[in-house]
Amino acid sequence: MPELWELSAEETARRVAAGETSAVAVLDAALLRTARVEPLIAAYLELFEETARARAAEIDRKIAAGQAVGPLAGVPVAIKDNMNLAGRRLTCASRILSGYVAPYTATAVERLIDAGAVVIGRANMDEFAMGSSCENSAYQVTRNPWDLAAVPGGSSGGPAAAVAAGSVPLALGSDTGGSIRQPAALCGVVGLKPTYGRVSRYGLVAFASSTDQIGPLARTVRDAAVGLRAIAGPDANDSTCSGRPLDDPLAGIEDGVRGLRIGVASEIENAGLAGDCGRNFRAALELLARAGAEPVSVSIPSLDTAIAVYYVLATSEASANLARFDGVRYGRRSPRAETLADLYLDSRSEGFGAEVKRRIMLGTFALSSGYYEAYYGHARAVLARMRQELAQAFEKADVLATPTAPSAAFRLGEKVGDPLQMYLNDIFTTPASLVGLPAVAVPSGSDSRGLPLSLQIMGKPFAEATVLRAARAFELAAAWEVAPRFRGAESG
Amino acid sequence: MALTTEEVRKIALLARLRLSPEEEATFAGQLGKVVDYIDQLKGREAAEEWLPEAADREVEDRARPCLPRELFLANAPAALDGFLLVPEVKGPDDA
Repeated sequence: MPELWELSAEETARRVAAGETSAVAVLDAALLRTARVEPLIAAYLELFEETARARAAEIDRKIAAGQAVGPLAGVPVAIKDNMNLAGRRLTCASRILSGYVAPYTATAVERLIDAGAVVIGRANMDEFAMGSSCENSAYQVTRNPWDLAAVPGGSSGGPAAAVAAGSVPLALGSDTGGSIRQPAALCGVVGLKPTYGRVSRYGLVAFASSTDQIGPLARTVRDAAVGLRAIAGPDANDSTCSGRPLDDPLAGIEDGVRGLRIGVASEIENAGLAGDCGRNFRAALELLARAGAEPVSVSIPSLDTAIAVYYVLATSEASANLARFDGVRYGRRSPRAETLADLYLDSRSEGFGAEVKRRIMLGTFALSSGYYEAYYGHARAVLARMRQELAQAFEKADVLATPTAPSAAFRLGEKVGDPLQMYLNDIFTTPASLVGLPAVAVPSGSDSRGLPLSLQIMGKPFAEATVLRAARAFELAAAWEVAPRFRGAESG
Repeated sequence: MALTTEEVRKIALLARLRLSPEEEATFAGQLGKVVDYIDQLKGREAAEEWLPEAADREVEDRARPCLPRELFLANAPAALDGFLLVPEVKGPDDA
């Protein structure tokens, strides 16, 4: 018999709604598990124990009174600390937002709560979602449950570590260039970045508005689908949110991949993926083929430009978006400034960490007079080319497969001194972000050190159902059920 | 293209950041490497700009309730009588 904290979100909600267990019992189990693992991994910036208990009790009362409860009744969830939850602190793991209290609730979070979920805390991240290791948090270092000396990935490292460690079965992250998928990969869980426009960003602190997207992290593909179903859909508060209805991603999720054309870019094959990652990727493709999928070769010559394009466009947008943090309207204000000009300079310089400053500087450079056309303008044009190539690839294939990350989790501190090395982690995740496609990361085995590896499946715009169906078929074929080892912990 | 510390200082000013001499030196090296990497885009094939579907969608221009003033000001570092408070705009150099 699995413990309550080991259950999927789907099974938890079923049991709670059926009265086989209570929301309070589920929450107790989650908080107990969290108390056990949190000293090892430090996934949370804050736990909402008291409000979570009140909320769980309220759900139990509703069930006792015969009232309807949502599809996530009593499911404990974590949210990345860049989504507003009214009355709660929100920091984006930045000193500049150290005193900020959310005045309203983000649409995606509100929908999760409306579905019956119990938010148990806000999870750590790279400052303003800028990073691939969670080491850019101004507050704490989150560790990978598989190896406590390794990074959990980023920027949604807190949500990914919390899900992997069994604290919660479901969490919300945000993904701008891979920030849901890469940490999901490094922590051995499932992470879905929905199509651009599928999920409202109202209440999400903006990083790069042309790619930012909220999505679920979970231990199973079905739970990621359950999470997506809860948060997706049009929102009058976000004009970039699409009006398209969501096909129920659970409806055909067990239908398998027979006849599904799985495209693999020849550029990836030719690059000769090295070592464990390459071996694992080829084995994953073979599993999919054995399950009935039809592998097809496609060509995306601009694939190797994705990181460069991404770091021009995302930093340009970040430099504009983060201009709002000036010490005037909210957040930290430098106490030493005597003029308004100094107030801007000092508040920002004291409030932002090194990586955020680097990216603001890079974006400012790319947008500055004399460089705008050569950098920002040209990157947009190369992206347009990539968009065409991907559209052509999707004429031959129903989904595209790549590894999610070029390697398993790396050591804490290994890449902090070399930003470019850190950026190169995003090689496989940035194309779907730039083009706005849905993409899911699903565990595909482990490397020679026993650390998780991951397969990424990308789909056509708004084809989340197809992407999740393929991921579900792969999940069944790969049969990944290995639990994290907490290697490096003094006590088991 | 390597960035000089003077260039880094100029960009920092545009970005409203005040950097220490150590930060200037570190960022010059790090950003220079990233810009070198980005320069691989020069000469790469490009295409016409693409406009997303949403760009054509019109939204009714209608006033709606927004965040109440007191709730907004609750996060302000300094406020007085319902307004944000800032230090004087003119510095000694502007006098």
